[in-house]
Amino acid sequence: MNPPILKHIIKSFLLILLISFVSDKLVFFLFNKISDQVYTGQSIGKVNHYLEIKDSLDFIVFGSSRANHNINPIKISENSFNMGMDGRKLAYSATLIKLLPDKKKQTVLLHIDPEYAFDTDYIGDDITALSPKYNRNTTIKNEIDKLGQNNILQRFYWSIGYNNAVLGIVKNYLQPNYDYKTYSGYDPIYVSDNQREIFENILNKGEKSKDCESQYTLNTIYNSYLDEIKIFCKTRNKTLILFTSPRLIDGCKDDNLKLKQILKDKNLEYYDFTDFLKENKNLDNWKDRGHLSDKGAELFTEEIKKLLK
Amino acid sequence: MLFNSFEFLVFFPIVFIIYWLLNNDLQKQNILLLVSSYIFYAWWDWRFLSLIIVSSFIDYTAGSKIFHAKTERQSKNWLLISLIANLGLLGFFKYYNFFADSFSTMMTGFGWQPNDLTLNIILPVGISFYTFQTLSYTIDIYRKQFEPTKNMVSFFTYIAFFPQLVAGPIERASNLLPQIEKKRILKKEWFNEGLIQILVGLFRKIVIADTIGAYVDTVYSDVGIYNSTTIVVATFLYAFQIYFDFAGYSDIAIGTAKLMGFKFNQNFNLPYFSISLTEFWRKWHMSLSFWLRDYLYISLGGNRKGIKITYRNLMLTMLLGGLWHGSSWNFVIWGGIHGLILSIEKFIKTYQTSYLWKKFSFLGYPITFGVVLFSWIFFRAQDLNSAMLAIKKICQFNFSAPFIGDINLIITSALVLSLGIGFDFFLFRKKIDLENLAARFSILKVAVLASVIIVLINLFYSTSNNFIYFQF
Repeated sequence: MNPPILKHIIKSFLLILLISFVSDKLVFFLFNKISDQVYTGQSIGKVNHYLEIKDSLDFIVFGSSRANHNINPIKISENSFNMGMDGRKLAYSATLIKLLPDKKKQTVLLHIDPEYAFDTDYIGDDITALSPKYNRNTTIKNEIDKLGQNNILQRFYWSIGYNNAVLGIVKNYLQPNYDYKTYSGYDPIYVSDNQREIFENILNKGEKSKDCESQYTLNTIYNSYLDEIKIFCKTRNKTLILFTSPRLIDGCKDDNLKLKQILKDKNLEYYDFTDFLKENKNLDNWKDRGHLSDKGAELFTEEIKKLLK
Repeated sequence: MLFNSFEFLVFFPIVFIIYWLLNNDLQKQNILLLVSSYIFYAWWDWRFLSLIIVSSFIDYTAGSKIFHAKTERQSKNWLLISLIANLGLLGFFKYYNFFADSFSTMMTGFGWQPNDLTLNIILPVGISFYTFQTLSYTIDIYRKQFEPTKNMVSFFTYIAFFPQLVAGPIERASNLLPQIEKKRILKKEWFNEGLIQILVGLFRKIVIADTIGAYVDTVYSDVGIYNSTTIVVATFLYAFQIYFDFAGYSDIAIGTAKLMGFKFNQNFNLPYFSISLTEFWRKWHMSLSFWLRDYLYISLGGNRKGIKITYRNLMLTMLLGGLWHGSSWNFVIWGGIHGLILSIEKFIKTYQTSYLWKKFSFLGYPITFGVVLFSWIFFRAQDLNSAMLAIKKICQFNFSAPFIGDINLIITSALVLSLGIGFDFFLFRKKIDLENLAARFSILKVAVLASVIIVLINLFYSTSNNFIYFQF
């Protein structure tokens, strides 16, 4: 390679690194500024809302969409919040639990699905939803690093943390979905005709039989996080309760029983509501096989309320 | 190894630096290319390297024997050996189960229940691409359009050259081998062009194709439960998913080769801006369509034997082109649709004289896109039943609100797709090839453009999937 082209390549490379580094930081700080004012939406707003009020809460629900859409926390306590989010599993919830204050007495209701708890392929990747906070919160950074879910390029390009969250943040910055001050984190599902039609089509196709596994082994990430949050809650004045949300159809009970046994062995309080509403065949209570409609959620919330009394 | 993987991000700069350090020794440089190409391939599955080596060896020998054959018969025999060996390997690995399964189904129809004839065969990545590449070498020598190389390393490098090994472009020996056999130089223009094309390709792949692919996958995994609008939307998105996926891959391949001092032929040239299907095939996967034209359509007689034979040749070429993509009846039907429409276009072109026809020729753009869109249903559906179900659901004309799913995903898809289509429209209006876009840019302009693309990729990239065309 002749010297002029070598010089051209080196100059181009360095200039790209420099300009992309600077523009990345500009974008990062711009989105920090914007996102700090966003308190609505699942991209970052709900996490910001949680971080703002977490120290004053008495009762908090964590988990996936099966926690978020199924429990109305206000019916249980006025100082409460449902931090359930679509697609989130234990890594995400456990990290948020670890951000709770040290001494305040709080009840933590954590949703756990046997299906995911025994999923040996689960690698804790749901924690990447907290990536916008990676360079801004030590606990979150440590948890993401511990699970190896950090993008190695993020050390150089910080804005990677906002990957796929940008539009949601901008949208909620310009036009918040709701008044967050009256929002409890609970998102009831009002089933539309179209959704009902899709759901009925699915049911009419018949249930694919789910075979039970011959052996169930708790995922190692679930195992360690359950131990960690148990200690965390015990030492920080929290009451930890685990539960499993109702399912319209559950072809295999072995995993539920096994999980129950494991949690009992770990001395964790656990309630399996998989078969709740089983006798009630009314489809109006369901959005799909795993999610309750607003009507079903009200019934389920009442059941949780009774339990906590 | 995938282009959009961290491994490649480490692999390529190492190869690039050593490669240019060896610039004074062509043979060493080619050995490096060969070894690094084999490492690139072995990263997926080292066992299948043997197939590439065997295939390379057969065609290296056959090429030489064809060229030095004393009689036409000898020459033809060696060509047959090359064809049988290459197509035999491809046929076994790619089509054995398809034909065995089709045979069983047919026999069942006659009331005979044969035992399960299918085998557990892994499809070697890239076999369709490098098989066509090796075949072009021996056929060109047989046609006396090309002389064989005496250098084994050059030939093996030509077959295995990593930028195009697993999903093309299908480079002809007449274009690539001479470049392998002479000293390469890297020009500033090529560096600029290559770099920008790689980044645009990455954007097309991991931002656009992967983002919109999530919706398409959801709908096409169970088409029976969605309404007409949803299936039309998913098919529309798939048309762009497959385009940006494969064009993006080609961009990275062409750009990477350019940084090594090689010039590949263009593989995509804004195919959806086509006024006819004939034009579409001059712009879509050009290395394959030109290959099919030169080695199949023309070998069958092309348009030299009358209009009826031309229609037959078009149909056969497209049916086999469809089958090349995958061992399923879906791909055959996909090819059949294209063959049929190409034949109709040929027919119209033969008789078109009317003023009205010319006046409304602009309608060719939406009609061509519509035909392509319809045919993608067969390409994307999991099997023939799913494809027919998707068409049936569309024909129910239930055009109520579509399934939305993750609203954030839909909005992101709309944004990145608009960026991708907008950029293509800009190239179309300005009549610029992406391959030459950055040739005359200053260093600063290249750096700024590259940085903008990098920031956009960081903000919008989707979790990586395999490139769609890897399965072919």
